[in-house]
Amino acid sequence: MSFVPGQPVTAVVQRIEIQKLRQGNNLILGFSIGGGIDQDPGQNPFSEDKTDKGIYVTRITPGGPADVAGLMMGDKIMQVNGWDMTMVTHDKARKRLTKKNEDVVRLLVTRKSLEEAVKQSMGGFPRP
Amino acid sequence: MEDYDVRSAASILASVKEQEARFEQLTRALEEERRNVTLQLERANLPPNPPTSQPLAWQQVVMQEQSPSNATSLAMMQEPQEVVEETVTIEEDPGTPTSHVSVVTSDDGTTRRTETKVTKMVKTVTTRTVRQVPLGPDGLPLPEGSSPLGSYTDSIDRRYMKNGNDRFITPQATSTLTRSYNNSYNDSYGETPESQYVRHYGLHDGYADLTDNYGSLSRGVNFRPPRYPYLPNSYRPENSYTLPIRKDDYGHVAQPQVPMGSSTVDLNRSQPERFQPEPYGLEDDRRSLGPEEEEPYELEPDYSTANRRTLPGANRGRTHREPLRDGPRIRGYPDDPIEAELIDERHPYIHGMYSAPLAQPERGSMASLDRMGGRRSPSIDSIRKDPRWRDPDLPEVIAMLGHPIDPVKSNAAAYLQHLCYENDKIKKDVRQLKGIPVLVGLLDHPKSEVHRKACGALRNISYGKDNDNKVAIKNCDGIPALVRLLRKTNDMEVRELITGTLWNLSSYEPLKMVIINHGLQTMTNEVIIPHSGWEHEPNEDSKPRDAEWTTVFKNTSGCLRNVSSDGAEARRRLRECDGLVDALLHALQSAVGKKDMDNKSVENCVCIMRNLSYHVHKEVPGAEKFQDPSALQAPGSVGPQRKKKDDAGCFGGKKAKEEWFNQGRKNGENDKNYDTLDLPKRTEPSKGFELLYQPEVVRLYLSLLTESQNYNTLEAAAGALQNLSAGQWTWSNYIRATVRKEKGLPILVELLRSDSDKVVRAVAIALRNLSIDRRNKDLIGSYAMRDLVSNLPSGQQRPAKNLEEDTVVAILNTIHEIVTDSSENARSLIQAQAIEKLVAINRTSQSARETKAASHVLQTVWSYKDLRNALTKDGWNKSHFQPTVTATPKATKNGKPGYDDTTLPLMEKNQGTRKCGSGDMIPMDELGPDGYSTIDQRDKDCKYKAGDVSVDLTEREPLKNDTNRKHYIRSNRPAVSLVDACDVKPQPVDSWV
Repeated sequence: MSFVPGQPVTAVVQRIEIQKLRQGNNLILGFSIGGGIDQDPGQNPFSEDKTDKGIYVTRITPGGPADVAGLMMGDKIMQVNGWDMTMVTHDKARKRLTKKNEDVVRLLVTRKSLEEAVKQSMGGFPRP
Repeated sequence: MEDYDVRSAASILASVKEQEARFEQLTRALEEERRNVTLQLERANLPPNPPTSQPLAWQQVVMQEQSPSNATSLAMMQEPQEVVEETVTIEEDPGTPTSHVSVVTSDDGTTRRTETKVTKMVKTVTTRTVRQVPLGPDGLPLPEGSSPLGSYTDSIDRRYMKNGNDRFITPQATSTLTRSYNNSYNDSYGETPESQYVRHYGLHDGYADLTDNYGSLSRGVNFRPPRYPYLPNSYRPENSYTLPIRKDDYGHVAQPQVPMGSSTVDLNRSQPERFQPEPYGLEDDRRSLGPEEEEPYELEPDYSTANRRTLPGANRGRTHREPLRDGPRIRGYPDDPIEAELIDERHPYIHGMYSAPLAQPERGSMASLDRMGGRRSPSIDSIRKDPRWRDPDLPEVIAMLGHPIDPVKSNAAAYLQHLCYENDKIKKDVRQLKGIPVLVGLLDHPKSEVHRKACGALRNISYGKDNDNKVAIKNCDGIPALVRLLRKTNDMEVRELITGTLWNLSSYEPLKMVIINHGLQTMTNEVIIPHSGWEHEPNEDSKPRDAEWTTVFKNTSGCLRNVSSDGAEARRRLRECDGLVDALLHALQSAVGKKDMDNKSVENCVCIMRNLSYHVHKEVPGAEKFQDPSALQAPGSVGPQRKKKDDAGCFGGKKAKEEWFNQGRKNGENDKNYDTLDLPKRTEPSKGFELLYQPEVVRLYLSLLTESQNYNTLEAAAGALQNLSAGQWTWSNYIRATVRKEKGLPILVELLRSDSDKVVRAVAIALRNLSIDRRNKDLIGSYAMRDLVSNLPSGQQRPAKNLEEDTVVAILNTIHEIVTDSSENARSLIQAQAIEKLVAINRTSQSARETKAASHVLQTVWSYKDLRNALTKDGWNKSHFQPTVTATPKATKNGKPGYDDTTLPLMEKNQGTRKCGSGDMIPMDELGPDGYSTIDQRDKDCKYKAGDVSVDLTEREPLKNDTNRKHYIRSNRPAVSLVDACDVKPQPVDSWV
C-alpha cells in the first residue's frame, strides 16, 4: 500500500457491506480498527509500509457482522460509505463507522491477499 | 467484477497505453515478418526438399509430406529467426473410435472432409505461437534474448459439430484455464467419455510483466471472450520450445492448413454449422483429423511450476523439457504461413482491444477474488461470456484424473489445483466428488509430471480452514503416499510441494501424530539433516557446512514445528528422532554464525526447539535421576535449602556446585562463586535430545535474542529459555546460572521494552523462571523492576504498549515471583512507583485475572512489615493491599460470569481443541487472506507450550489464552477507554466498532 505522494494510488479493493447488529441501544459492527493519522504508524503490525497511517482492521469478532461480511483482520479500510479513510484520525474513522443513524456501512478495503491474488494472476500458478 | 474498483483510472490508463504502444510495435514487426514470409513463399514455390542438415529438418520433412503448405516450412528454413509454432489438439468423441471422418488432401492444398456419422464430434484446438526464436543447431530454440518482439500466442478453438449437433460440450481451451499448455496430444481413442472434454488446457503462465495493469483486470473480465489469451511481450508458452516434437504430436494430423480469406478456399467454410464464427475473425477452419492413426501419446507437457518459479518471466518454461519422440513424421502438420500472417495482422487489433483482460486467464486468482464477492463455479464465467463455450465441470475434471493418458491426468490435476486455489467451495466439492483419493493415487504415478501436478492440487486442497479436506487426504492414505514420494523423488519442486502439503496437513491436530508416525524420520533424513548442514560423522578435514534455507527446509521445519506441539508423545518422538535435534541445533548455530536469523526457517527451528524443550525435566528418559527432591516439596517457591541431587556421574565438581547453589539460595549476596561457575564436564559429547538442555544452548538462544529482528524468533528463543529454566532439576539449575553467566539477564530485560506483546510476555515469564535462582532474583529485582513496571497499565488506561491481558498478567506474576521472599525486591518495586499502578489495576481493571494477579503482588508487599512504614508514608493503607471486594463482581463485569480459571480447559486440552485454522498453514508469501492472524495464531499455539511451563511455578493464570475469549472480553470494554489513549503521543489504538 505504499505510494508516492502526488502519484495516484492503485489498489485492488473489495467492497464489503456490513449490516450492523443491534444490541439494545448499540449498533455493533464486530471489528476493531487501528491506525489513523494521529497514531504511530510504526506500531501497526498489519501495514507493509510502516509509514502508512491508514485505518486497519485489527480484530474481528468471530461470527460478528464484520466476520460474516467477509472483513478480515489486517484489511486496510480505504473508504467508509464513500468517505475517505486513508487520511483521517483514528477517532474520525471510528465515528464514521459508528454513526447511530446508519444500519449499514459499506467499506472499501484492500488487503495484501487481494493484491497478491492479482499479482499471482499475472505471475503463475496459484500457490496456496 | 463489481467487487473491484479501480483506484486510479489514471495509472491504469497509463499502463494500457503502454501496452498499446507495445502492441503497436509488435504489429509493425509482424508486418515485416509477413512481408518476409510472402517473399519466401514466392521463392519457395517449388517442390519440397528432402530433409537436409539444416536445423529445421523436421519442418522439411513435414514439407515433404505436406506439399500444399510447404511454403512455410521453407520460409522458415531460410529464415530461422522466425519460427511459427503451432500446436493442435484434436478432440474426438471417444465414443466413435473408428473414424467417420476422412480427410482428403488435394493437390491444391484444400481439404475435404467427409463425415459419415452423425454423432461424431470433433474438436480441434489450435494454439499457434509465432515468434522469433533463434534456433540452435539441434533445431531447438536458443534461449531468449534476441527476440525484439517477444511473442504472442493465440489459441484457436474450434469445434466441429457434426450434422448440426449443437451441443457444444467441448471445452474451451483457454478462457478459464490458466496456462497455455501448448502441448497437444491426440486422443483419438479416448476410452472415457470425459476424454472428449478437455484435451487441451490452455493455461497461461508468465504474465510477469502485467503487474502494472492489474487494475484493469476487473474491467475486462466480463466481456472478454475466452479464447484469446493474448499475451504480453514476455509471454512464452511453456511448451513452445518443443519444436521437433510438435510435429510428432500432430503427425497424425494430416491436414493442410487452409488459410481463410486467402486465395485458397477452405472447404470447411462451406459447412457453417460446424464453424464457430469468431467474433474477431480469428477462427480458422483448420481441420485436423487422423483418427485412424493411433499415436501413442508421449508428449510430456512440461509446464512445470519449477520453471515458473525459478525462471524470470521471459524464459519461463524454457529450461526443462523432456525429449519426446524424434524422427521425421510421415505426416506432419504443416505450417501455414498465410494463416499465421492472417492471424498476425489481426493481432494488433486484438491486442489493442484486449490488452486489459490479458491477465484474466489466470482465473485461479480471479476465482479467489470472485469468491469474496460470492460465488463461482468453474464454468460460470465462460458461460456468461459465451454460451457456446464452457469449461469442463468439476466431475469431468475429476474423471479426467483417471484418464488413461498421462498428460490428461496431469492437466486435470493442474486444473484442479488452479480451481482450488483459495476456493474452499471447490475444495469441498472435489472432496465430495471423491477427487482426493484419485489425486492421492496419482502420487505414486511414475511420471513426474503427473505426480507433480497431483501434489500441487493436494497442496491447494490441503490448505485452508476446512479440516475435512485434510482428513480426506489422510483417510485415503495420502500421508504415507506423500512421504513415499518424498523418499523417491529428487525433483526439488516436487519436494517443495510434498513438504508444503505436509505442512498444511500438520496444522490439523488429529493428523499430527499420523504425520509423525509416517513421515518424521523421512522428513528428518531427507530434508532436515541434509539441509541443515549437520553431519553424523563430521569430516574433520572439511569445515562444517552451513544450513541452506531452502523452501523445502522451510516447509519441512514448519511441518515439524506444527507436529511438535501435539503433546508429550509427539515431543518424545521428535526428541528421539535420530539426528533431528542435532540437525536443528546445527542449523541454528549456522544461522547465528552467518547472522542470518530473521528468516522463516530459523523461526521454525527455534519454535521446534522451544517446543521440544518444554517439560524436558519431566519427559526426558532418565530425567528422574536429575530431579531435585527438595524442590518437589516446595514447588515454585524458593526452598531455603537444597538437598543434594543424585550424582549424575557425568559431571565433575557437582558437589561443590551444589554447595554453591545452596549458598546462593541462602545468601543472595554471596555471588563470588556464582560468576566463576564452571559448567559440568562431560565424558562424551552429548547428542540427540540431550543437546536440548545443555547449558551451551543458552548462548545460542541469547544470540538469537540479541540479533534477531523476527518477533516470532525472539518469542520462541525467550520461550525456550523459559522452558529450560523451569522445573526443578539439575539442568534447569545450570541453565539459570548459565543465563546469568552469559550475561543474558540484561538481554532479556532489554527485550521487556519490545514492541511485541508476545515477546514481552515470553521474556517476562522467562525472567520469572530464572528468578528461581536466588542470585538471578536479586539481579532481576534490582535491574528489571522498572521495565517490568513500565509495562503495566495505569488504571483504566491501557499501558503504553497496549499489552494484552495475558502479558499484563504474566508481568504481574513475574513481579510476584521476584518480590516473594525478598523484601529488598519489594522495596525496589515500591521505588519503581508500582504501588499506584498495582492498586489501580486491583481496583479498576476489567480483567479478573489482572485484578487477581495484582492483588497477589500487593498482598505480598504488605506482608513485609518493615516496608509498611514507607508505604504508609506514601499514603497507602492496609485496605489498598487487600483483595478488593469488587474482585468477584469484576468477573461478571467482564460479561462472562462463568469465566473462571478453574472452569477453563487445561492447557493441553486447550491446545487439542484449538482449531488451527489457517494458522498453521503454509503462509505462502503471506498470501492467505489472514496472513497476520495466521502467524499470530500459530504462535499462540506455540506460546502455550512455553507458557505452560510456568504452571510448575505457581499458578495457571498466564497460560490460558484463548483468542476468542480475549476478544470477547475486550469487546465488552468500553471503546472510550481504548480510544482516548491516543492523546499523549501516538500509540496504537484499537477501537471496537
